[in-house]
Amino acid sequence: MKPFALRDLVDDRPQDGVFRVNRALFRDQALFDLEMKHVFEGGWVFVGLATQAENPHDYFTNFLGRVPIIIQRDGEGTLRCFVNACPHKGVRLLQKLCGNARRHVCPYHSWTFDSAGANKNIKWQKAGRYAPGFDEENHDLATVAKFGEYRGFLFASLNADVPSLEEHLGETRKLIDLIVDKSPDGVELVPGRVVFTYAANWKMQLENCSDQYHFTSTHPSYIRILDQRAKEQVNEVVQSSIGAADFWQEDASGVTGGTMSFDHGHVLNWGIMPVSSALPEFERAEQLAQLHGVAKRNWMFNMRNLTIFPNLQLAENASSQMRVIRPIAAGMTEMQTWCIAPRGESAQARSFRIRQYEDFFNPTGMATPDDTVCYEEAQIGMAEQDRPWLQGHARGLGASIEGGNDWSDMIGMKPARSVLSDAQLCDESLFGSYYRAWAQRMAGVLS
Amino acid sequence: MTSLTSADAATFLAREALHLDRLDFDPWLALYTPDCLFWMPAWRDDGTQTEDPDRELSLIFYRGRRNLEDRVQRIRSGFSVASAVMPRVAHMIGNVVTQDAGEGTVRVDSSFLTNVHDVRTNKSHAYFGRYEHELVLVDGEWKIASKIIRLMNDVVPTMLDVYGV
Ligand code: FES
Ligand SMILES: [Fe+2]
Repeated sequence: MKPFALRDLVDDRPQDGVFRVNRALFRDQALFDLEMKHVFEGGWVFVGLATQAENPHDYFTNFLGRVPIIIQRDGEGTLRCFVNACPHKGVRLLQKLCGNARRHVCPYHSWTFDSAGANKNIKWQKAGRYAPGFDEENHDLATVAKFGEYRGFLFASLNADVPSLEEHLGETRKLIDLIVDKSPDGVELVPGRVVFTYAANWKMQLENCSDQYHFTSTHPSYIRILDQRAKEQVNEVVQSSIGAADFWQEDASGVTGGTMSFDHGHVLNWGIMPVSSALPEFERAEQLAQLHGVAKRNWMFNMRNLTIFPNLQLAENASSQMRVIRPIAAGMTEMQTWCIAPRGESAQARSFRIRQYEDFFNPTGMATPDDTVCYEEAQIGMAEQDRPWLQGHARGLGASIEGGNDWSDMIGMKPARSVLSDAQLCDESLFGSYYRAWAQRMAGVLS
Repeated sequence: MTSLTSADAATFLAREALHLDRLDFDPWLALYTPDCLFWMPAWRDDGTQTEDPDRELSLIFYRGRRNLEDRVQRIRSGFSVASAVMPRVAHMIGNVVTQDAGEGTVRVDSSFLTNVHDVRTNKSHAYFGRYEHELVLVDGEWKIASKIIRLMNDVVPTMLDVYGV
């Protein structure tokens, strides 16, 4: 007996023009526990950037679903991903966020492992009078079944039975390229990690990243400040990039952007931003056009919010952010956030990027708090009720087409579906891609 | 008189805290010089904070009181849901130590504990850490030329604004 029926949770009837999600997906703790097992521990999940362990024996720690993991580079430069738990009695081997070590000695009984995860010593093994059964066991750190890298972005899966990473990422690799190719040396994380929690389901963040509809409603207090700063142009105030774009302005005319959705649950929403000095990338605009062609360069300047299902979000708008979603409970989520930036940009461009980032993205800034408070208010409204179906996944259903459009063609990208929109369309149909991928990963427990 | 006793400095910090506790932002802003630094560094890893705000991320970084005025404007705008039901706050400041930093500047180190009651969710949070103030005498009055907030518990529950630290 499967515990849940898909048709009770996601009402996906394209022939009738219906796509609806049940509030239970945000609220139900039993469903959440199954999500951790099947969505986060049953398929590809983003685990970090290769630059977080750049040198031999560098490591950083993280979680893959509920499982603590270590990502470490060995002496030869090979990156590996292990479970951060000692085979002896399960103690978490490494407690620090990051570091450099050739050997890891377990704090409990001193079993020792090298930077490739191999067991190097079991304290007093000979004197331990182990029976033969013990010698037959593998005493190394458990490796995570699948581990792969695409251009410095690291993904892992505890389940071995998954498509290749290339297939999982599919066409979104071209969107990752847009970020990485901004510099010949690739990207890096600006030092300083900002973590916050909110008391609502992880899917609120999943959706909000690509929710163009909320921007002018949730953030008018911030938009007013942008307007004011744009008028004043005094040196001391933090300048802003999105103030200069009109993809979000209600009176903008013509195509201002749109959405694309991809297989395996990845989505993009994007908006046209001019190639202008409002973005820190401008110092390389000419060089980027020569290296990559004008079309790809122009796409590097567009506003882009990319979600790689289920936990990575790369937001390129006011600045550039890498967000990692870590679900804690049905009604609690932890967000790990970083400023991600092209290597080797000028000091001026870097500080411009950082200043905009802080004001917009931080939980101590002027925009994100208004989002997270809305997530929490949504969670309160997710209580069980007679009308369980949300009406928040319907905009754009009438505009969504199979395949791409002129804009995706420019960079040879082939999304599964796309919507081309004016400033007020604000597609919500792209979220369907999340829930279809969610249902695929949950297939074993959904009838 | 360009020196400040620890007791005077403590009174000065308590007055700043009182303005914030009362959410009385105009006199709070008036304590700052126009070109003030207001800085809350982020944490790089388990043990170190970011040090160079132009190359590393901060939780908040402003040079210029004008930016703090923007923050206050947003809080008061009526268009920020995060500021619609204002939290109730109480600052406790202690361990005040002063040091003459020369050129009419006094450096004041202190510890803070801010209790924030989020009325909207009926939850209370405590934020704590250290302040580093630099005070200067302007027309006979002490003003804040620089305030660094070293927040120790930096995992932010939902949101944190300037009045909460
Ligand atoms: S738990 Fe690691 S050595 Fe015992
Ligand atoms: Fe938002």
